[in-house]
Amino acid sequence: MRIIVPIRQILDPRGFTVSPRHERIFINREEYIINPNDKNALEVALSLKDAGEAEVIVIAGGQARLDDALREAMAMGADAAYLLTDEVLAKTDAAGVAEALARGIEKIGDFDLIVVGQETLDTADAQLGPWLAEYLGVAQVGGVRQASISDGVLRVRRNWGAGYAEVEVALPALLTVASGANKPRYPHGGRIMAAYREWQVITWNSEDLGLTAADLAPLTQGRGRAFPPERTLGERLTGSPQDVAAELVQQLRLRRII
Amino acid sequence: MDFTFPKEYELFRRMVREFAENEVRPLAKKVDAEHRVPFETIKKAAKLGLMGVPFPRKYGGSGAGETGYCILMEELGKVCTSTATVIGAHTGIGAMAIYLDGTEEQKEKYLKPLASGEKIAAFALTEAQAGSDAAAIKTRAVRDGDYYVLNGSKCFITNGDIADIITVMAVTDPSLGARGGVTAFIVEKGFPGFSIGTLENKMGIRGSSTAELIFEDCRVPKENVLGQFGAGFITFMKTLDIGRASLAAACLGGAQAAMEGAMRWAAVRSQFGVPIAQKQSVHFAIADMATEIEALRSLVYRTAWLIDTGQPHVKEAAMCKVYGSEVASRCINRALQIFGGMGYSREFWVERAFRDARIAEIFEGTSEIQRIVIASNLFREMGLRISP
Amino acid sequence: MDLDYLQMLMGEEEVVVEEKGEGYRNIWVVAERAGDELVPVTLEMLNQARQLASTLGAYVMAVLLGGDEALAQELIYYGADKVFLCDDPALKDYALEPYAKALGDLFAEKMPEIVLFGAADVGSELAPRLARRLGTIVLTNCTGLTLDAAQRTLVCTMPAYGGEYSEVVAFSPEVHPQMVTVRPGAFGRPYRDEYRSAEVETVAVDLDGVQPRVKVLNVVAQVEREPVPLDKARIIVSAGRGMGDAEGFALVEKLAAALGGEVAGSRGAVDEGWIDEEKQVGMGGVTVRPDLYIACGISGAIQHYLGMEEAKFVVAVNADENAPILKVADVGIVGDAKEVIPAIIEALGA
Ligand SMILES: Cc1cc2nc3c(=O)[nH]c(=O)nc-3n(C[C@H](O)[C@H](O)[C@H](O)COP(=O)(O)OP(=O)(O)OC[C@H]3O[C@@H](n4cnc5c(N)ncnc54)[C@H](O)[C@@H]3O)c2cc1C
Ligand SMILES: Cc1cc2nc3c(=O)[nH]c(=O)nc-3n(C[C@H](O)[C@H](O)[C@H](O)COP(=O)(O)OP(=O)(O)OC[C@H]3O[C@@H](n4cnc5c(N)ncnc54)[C@H](O)[C@@H]3O)c2cc1C
Repeated sequence: MRIIVPIRQILDPRGFTVSPRHERIFINREEYIINPNDKNALEVALSLKDAGEAEVIVIAGGQARLDDALREAMAMGADAAYLLTDEVLAKTDAAGVAEALARGIEKIGDFDLIVVGQETLDTADAQLGPWLAEYLGVAQVGGVRQASISDGVLRVRRNWGAGYAEVEVALPALLTVASGANKPRYPHGGRIMAAYREWQVITWNSEDLGLTAADLAPLTQGRGRAFPPERTLGERLTGSPQDVAAELVQQLRLRRII
Repeated sequence: MDFTFPKEYELFRRMVREFAENEVRPLAKKVDAEHRVPFETIKKAAKLGLMGVPFPRKYGGSGAGETGYCILMEELGKVCTSTATVIGAHTGIGAMAIYLDGTEEQKEKYLKPLASGEKIAAFALTEAQAGSDAAAIKTRAVRDGDYYVLNGSKCFITNGDIADIITVMAVTDPSLGARGGVTAFIVEKGFPGFSIGTLENKMGIRGSSTAELIFEDCRVPKENVLGQFGAGFITFMKTLDIGRASLAAACLGGAQAAMEGAMRWAAVRSQFGVPIAQKQSVHFAIADMATEIEALRSLVYRTAWLIDTGQPHVKEAAMCKVYGSEVASRCINRALQIFGGMGYSREFWVERAFRDARIAEIFEGTSEIQRIVIASNLFREMGLRISP
Repeated sequence: MDLDYLQMLMGEEEVVVEEKGEGYRNIWVVAERAGDELVPVTLEMLNQARQLASTLGAYVMAVLLGGDEALAQELIYYGADKVFLCDDPALKDYALEPYAKALGDLFAEKMPEIVLFGAADVGSELAPRLARRLGTIVLTNCTGLTLDAAQRTLVCTMPAYGGEYSEVVAFSPEVHPQMVTVRPGAFGRPYRDEYRSAEVETVAVDLDGVQPRVKVLNVVAQVEREPVPLDKARIIVSAGRGMGDAEGFALVEKLAAALGGEVAGSRGAVDEGWIDEEKQVGMGGVTVRPDLYIACGISGAIQHYLGMEEAKFVVAVNADENAPILKVADVGIVGDAKEVIPAIIEALGA
C-alpha cells in the first residue's frame, strides 16, 4: 500500500512577536517548521504503516528550504521524499503549489491513499486536500481524527458537528486530518542523522511536472496584514452581579473567545 | 574553520529540546520529591533512539557521535539533571565501555539492547576505600574453568539497582597493581552471586538511583572479559575521558537555564520601585554568567569534535569536567541569589537545580583529580619531567 | 422593528460597482444544514452577503440541498433574494459526490460571481472540490470580506496563527467565480424578517451514475469532553483562596464545565486542599497559555502571574479592588465571587 502525504512549511511562531501597536511582526529568529496540522496527517499515515504494510511518501512543493521539512518527515518515519522546486515554483501561491503537488502525485503514481493536514497555521489555508481529491478523482473524507485499514477498506472516524461519525471508504481515497487530531511522534534520533547523511530527497522542477510560469501565475494578490487592536489591561466592569456577568459574557462572545 | 552545527544537529537539538520540554520537565519536580527514577521517560527516550545517541546505527544507536550526545545532555541538563544522570551513566559510561573495548560478539549481545534502550547499563568502579584512588580497588576476580568468580563490593553506582548490564572493574592479579592487574567484566544482573545493597539517600539528583553492588562468588563467563585481560584500567580511563565531555554538556544546559530563569525574574521583580533587572549588580552577574557559559559551550563542543574526529582529548575532557561543573554551580548559585527567597524554596526549581549541580564536581572524578589530569598532561606535552 | 435594522435598510450608502465579469453574476450562499436546521454560519453568511450585494448591485442567491420549502423560507427571512432548492431525495443526507455534482452543475449554468460556503464540516469539504471542478480557487476560513471596487474582486481576511494577526488577500480579477469559506462566528447573525418574501425555485438535479463513495456507519451526535492538560488548554478557570471554602471552589468547577474549560488553582487553593498540586498555576507549578483565563479569588501574586502571563485574555473576579490581578486582567470584576460566578453561569446559559 502506498500513502502519500503532502508537507507544507511555516515560519516558527516561537521565533517572532506580533506587535499590534506597531502593526508589525518582529522576527527574532527566522526558522521554519512543518505545518503542525501536516504532522497530524503524517502521524495518521505512519500509524497505518505501523499497523500493516505500507510505504509512506512525503512530497512538498515551493521553496528549496522545504528540503528540511521533508528530511524531518523522513526522520519521523516516511520512506521517501519528493521536492518540487525551482525558481518558478518558489514564487507561486498556494493554488500553484496545489497544482504542482497534484502533478507530482500523479507522477509518483500508484497511490492508495493521500493524507493531508486540513489547514495551515500561518494562513488558515484549507484548500489543498479536497482540491487534490477532485484533481485526482478520488473519494475524500474531511475532519479526520483516526483511520484504520482492513481488507482494503478504510475505516475513518471524522468530526461531525459536536460529535463524530464513523465512515467507510474504498481506496484510493484522500483524507484531510483535523488539526490536533493526534500527538505526532517525534523524529527519531538515528533517523535524523540518516535523513541528512544517507537518504536522498528526489527533486523535480516545473519542467519535470510539465508546468510553465504561466500555469503557476498567482491567482491572488497579497494585500498586507491586519492586526488586532492593541491590548488594554485593567478595564473594570461595574454594576450588579447580573449586569457584570451579562456584560462579560457578551464581551467574550464578541471577541469570539467563547 | 566552521563553528556552525550541521543541519542534522540543528534538527536533533530541536527534537530533544521538545522532548525535554514536553516529556521530561513535567516530571522533574516529582521525581526529585519522590526520590524515584523516571522510568516512563526512559521508555519514551528509548523509542526515539535517545538511549544510544553516540553509537553507530548498526548497533542500534543514533549515530550522532559525541556531538549529538552532548546536545542531548545539554538539553536534558536544562530541565532535569536526574534524567540526564540516568541516561548519562547508561550511555556515557556503562554502554560506552562496551562500545570502546567490546568484541563484535559482545557488542552484538550487549551493546545493541543497550543502545536501543531495551536494557539499562551501569558502570561500577568505585569502592568504599577506592574513590579518587581508583587503582586501590579490592574486588577480586579469580579464574575457575570457563568462569571468573567475583568477590567484593562497589559503592555509589549510578543505575546500579536498575541496570541489566554492568561493566565492573576487578583485580585479576594483585601483584601487578592497576597496570596489568585490573580487568573489566560485563556482568548481567541475573548472574548468580550478584546482589544489590543499600541505596543512597542523596542531596540532589534524587531522580537517579545510586546503589551498592555486592559480589559473592559471582560467576561471570570468561567471554565476558571486556577488552584485554589485565587492561581494565585503560578501559575505564578511556571511558571516563569521554563521559566527562558530555557530563559538562549537562552542566552547560543547567547553567544556561539558570541564567535565563534569573533574567526573566529580574525583569518582573520590582524593588525600590524598579525592576531589579535595572540594577548594575544584576547586569554584572548576568554578564559573568553569559560569558562563562559561552566559554564552556566552546570548550564542550570543541572537545566533542576532537572525540568525533579521533584526536587526543584527555586534557580537554578534564577541562570540560572541571570548568563545566564549576560554571554550573557558580551560575546556579548566582541565579539563586537573584531569585532571593524564592530561590531557597522547595516550591521552585532553582533550589533543586542548586542541589543537583553539586554532584558534578564530585562524580566521574572530582575537580581536584581533573586538575591533576590537566596539569600532568600539560607538563608531559611540554616535555617537562616532574618526578625523579 | 429594530432601529438598527431600519437604519440598515434605509440609510445604507450604495456604491454600485460596474459589472465586468463575462456573465458572472450575483453572490451565492451555499446553505449548510444539520438535519432540519440551518447551521449558524449559513445565517451569518447571508448577513455578510447582503452587505456585499448592495455594494455590487447584485442579488443574494441561496442554494439549499436536500432541505424543504420551509427551510428555504427561512433563508429568505434571513436575507436571500432567491433560493434554489434541490430537494432530490438522494440529497437528504450529506454525501460529497452527489452534493458536488448538484452544485457543480448549478454553478456551471448560473455562473455566480461570488460563492460563500461555511467553513463547517460540509462547506470545508465541498468548496475546494468545486473550485477545482470549476477551474477556480477558494480562499478559506475568512473572517472578513470586503470588496476592491476598482477591480471588482473580493478582499478576504484570514486569521494567521490562530488570530495573532490576519493575512489580507484579494482575488485576481480574472478568477471566476470567487469562492470563499467563511469562519463560523466571524459575522453577526442577520435579523429574521418574516415580512421578506422571495422566490423559491426548485431545481432538478441530474445524479445519474453519481454514487457516494463514503459510507456512513454511525454518527455520535455529542462527545464527552476529554480533559486537556493545563498547558494545552484553551480555556482555564482558576480558583484562589478567595473562593472561601470547598463550596466556593465547586462554583469554579461549574463555571469551567459551562465554558468547556479546565479547572486550575493558585497555591492558595492547593494549600486549602481544594485542588491537586498538579493543577497549580505559577512558578512552582505549570505555565499555561490559554485563550481565556478566569482568575477567581486569586490575588495575583507575582509567582502566580508568571505562570499565566501568556494567557491571551484574562478575566479576574476579586473582592478587593486593589488586588494586583486586576491590573493585569483584560476585564476585572470587583465583587464577591460567590455571587458573580453563579451570575456568569446563568448568563452563559441565556
Ligand atoms: C551520586 C553519585 C553517583 C556516582 N556514580 C558512580 C558510578 O556510576 N560509578 C562509579 O564507579 N562511581 C560512582 N560514583 C563515585 C564517584 O566517582 C566518587 O565519589 C568520586 O570519584 C570521589 O571519590 P570519593 O567519594 O571516594 O572521594 P575521595 O576520593 O575520598 O576524595 C575526597 C576528597 O579528597 C580529594 N582528593 C582525593 N585525592 C586527592 C589528590 N590526590 N589530590 C588532591 N585532592 C584529592 C578529592 O578531590 C575530594 O575532594 C558516584 C558518586 C556519587 C556521589
Ligand atoms: C517559591 C514560591 C513559589 C510559589 N509558586 C506559586 C505558584 O506556582 N502558584 C501560585 O499561585 N502561587 C505561588 N506562590 C505563592 C504566591 O506567592 C501566593 O502566596 C499565592 O499565589 C496566593 O494564592 P491566592 O491568590 O489564592 O491567595 P491570597 O493571596 O490569599 O488571595 C486571595 C484573594 O481572594 C480575594 N478574595 C477574598 N474573598 C473573596 C471573595 N469572596 N470573592 C472574590 N475574591 C475574594 C482576596 O481579595 C485576595 O485577593 C509561590 C510562592 C513562593 C515563595
